[in-house]
Amino acid sequence: MATLDLSHITKSFGTAQVLRDIDLAIKDKEFVVFVGPSGCGKSTLLRIVAGLEEATSGKIFIDGRDVSREPPVQRGIAMVFQSYALYPHLTVYENIAFPLRVQRLAEAEVRQKVTKAADILQLTDKLDLKPGQLSGGQRQRVAIGRSIVRNPKVFLFDEPLSNLDAALRGDMRVELSQLHGSLNATMIYVTHDQVEAMTMADRIVVLNAGKVEQFGTPMELYHHPATKFVAGFIGQPNMNLIPSTVKGTGSDGLTVELSGGHVMTIPVETKGVSAGAKVEVGIRPENVELGRGMDVKINVLERLGGVSITYGTLAGTRFCASLPGDAAIREGETIGLTMNPRDAHVFDAAGKVLRRTMAPALVA
Amino acid sequence: MLMDRYSLLQKIGIYIGIFIFLLFVLLPFIEMFRVSLRPLDHLMTADFTWWSNDFSFQAYRDMWVTVPLLGRYILNSIFIATAVTIMTMVVVVPAAYSYARLDFPFKSLSLGLFLAVNMFTGAVLLIPLYRVMRTLGLLNSYWAMIIPGVAFLIPTGIWLLRSYLEKIPKELEEAAYVDGASRMYTLRRVVLPLAVPGLIVVATSVFIGAYAQQFLFAITFNNQRELQPLPAGLFEFIGYQDVTWNQMMAAALTGVLPVMLFFLLLQKYLVAGLTAGAVKE
Repeated sequence: MATLDLSHITKSFGTAQVLRDIDLAIKDKEFVVFVGPSGCGKSTLLRIVAGLEEATSGKIFIDGRDVSREPPVQRGIAMVFQSYALYPHLTVYENIAFPLRVQRLAEAEVRQKVTKAADILQLTDKLDLKPGQLSGGQRQRVAIGRSIVRNPKVFLFDEPLSNLDAALRGDMRVELSQLHGSLNATMIYVTHDQVEAMTMADRIVVLNAGKVEQFGTPMELYHHPATKFVAGFIGQPNMNLIPSTVKGTGSDGLTVELSGGHVMTIPVETKGVSAGAKVEVGIRPENVELGRGMDVKINVLERLGGVSITYGTLAGTRFCASLPGDAAIREGETIGLTMNPRDAHVFDAAGKVLRRTMAPALVA
Repeated sequence: MLMDRYSLLQKIGIYIGIFIFLLFVLLPFIEMFRVSLRPLDHLMTADFTWWSNDFSFQAYRDMWVTVPLLGRYILNSIFIATAVTIMTMVVVVPAAYSYARLDFPFKSLSLGLFLAVNMFTGAVLLIPLYRVMRTLGLLNSYWAMIIPGVAFLIPTGIWLLRSYLEKIPKELEEAAYVDGASRMYTLRRVVLPLAVPGLIVVATSVFIGAYAQQFLFAITFNNQRELQPLPAGLFEFIGYQDVTWNQMMAAALTGVLPVMLFFLLLQKYLVAGLTAGAVKE
């Protein structure tokens, strides 16, 4: 059992406010990812949870107990650092055993725990090597090994995969997910990579400029982004945002005219908007298809095989579309695109979403 | 690497440069050695010759007779320098670590003061130091030569070691802290083992400093013959009638020899320590 609750956490460095009133309730055994652009405060938040940094105000509860003033080891957390932070002068065995040595456990117990961790992480034949003799992925595993020997309640990962090459990153993603399953522990994972967030998380915290933009499951964030920021951050390629004007409201939704003249009625809640208001319509590249409606000029065409990604403009606004792999289109030409209005998102002038009324049901 | 390659002309230039530099540094030693080999009367009369058949190692035998305490002086020198080194390091290691990692009031001010102290040579402070030593009743003891030595070498030691410790990644210490290790445990198990090359460099420079400066403190704060280090002891080769220059040079070279051998052995670490910037993972 390990729940983690953050209550009104703020953090300032001098006059710069890095975190503003962070309120989160993380459930037992949950895999939560903090994601956001660099400088959004996600690493600082993790370091506050770890006890490496002190919050300017606010409280942290683990299993309902206030740990705000306690050192990391008493909080029952373990942390894996971005640079792995392995001790270069110690063997893999001693690196993994380090937290146990600090506790002055008997040699037999140390051996048993290190062996078990090495077994889980496939490091058994590497125990006598120094970190310098290992590959990046192996070092990463040693760092994880060092965090699991102590049986912490909460695991903290600070961008653990960012130093690995793309292929290895994919493998480690799967391994970490499996590890989460087998350890049955609460895990918090910081990354700037939305793919890592989408693939690994039970729930995602999107941070922007020190605030929580949205906290929800990956598919919730994908189908119901609360703000323009979340919409732009989640999904690959990024969502297109088209400046539009409201033509009218009705029971079937909001009728808008996109820049370029295309008119459609989008099924969203219309409370608070009226004809003439400026809004932005969000269209995901994967939701459009060749047809009649929006005229898009293609500047760059990337054929990836299964899909063709086009980068172009719709009446002066950048517009990206994901089309079938062998669509008969060429760079430089203007094509017609169409879409189902149910798939569109609408954001008001403040960047807040108008909730979709006919979005697909969320899968777990 | 390609950028490390030099043309023949550059290489010749580099070697000429090294040669001139070494000549400057080593010529006094060569001259010392030549003098130590020549008979005394030869020294006073003969014209300059590079080599003569009268050369012998006789002075290396006679010097022990002329100055019976010579062996003691050499051991004193090594003892004083070693004691200064150990005491300095005991102070410098925690101080340098604090300056590298901790935050405390007047941190940069005190660090600047340490540098300022270094600008005074011991000579300027000899009179006040003499009074301090007399008040403490430490004159004419080993302490009189060790304590000022330690005091003058601490600032350089702190500055040198601090910059080395700062290069050890902070995350290593954070990881240890997260795992429950105390500051002292982390210092002992993580920081110091990684700082070994830096420690050797600092200890060496302190030792050399202690060896070089002991002359001044010895002739001012100590007049007990048995406690004198070699540089002060060499004065005994200056007699009422004549100066046995050849024996004095022989004794000086003999005194430096053990230390030089020791540093030759350490050289490997010295070079590694002086060039090692980043601590590799």
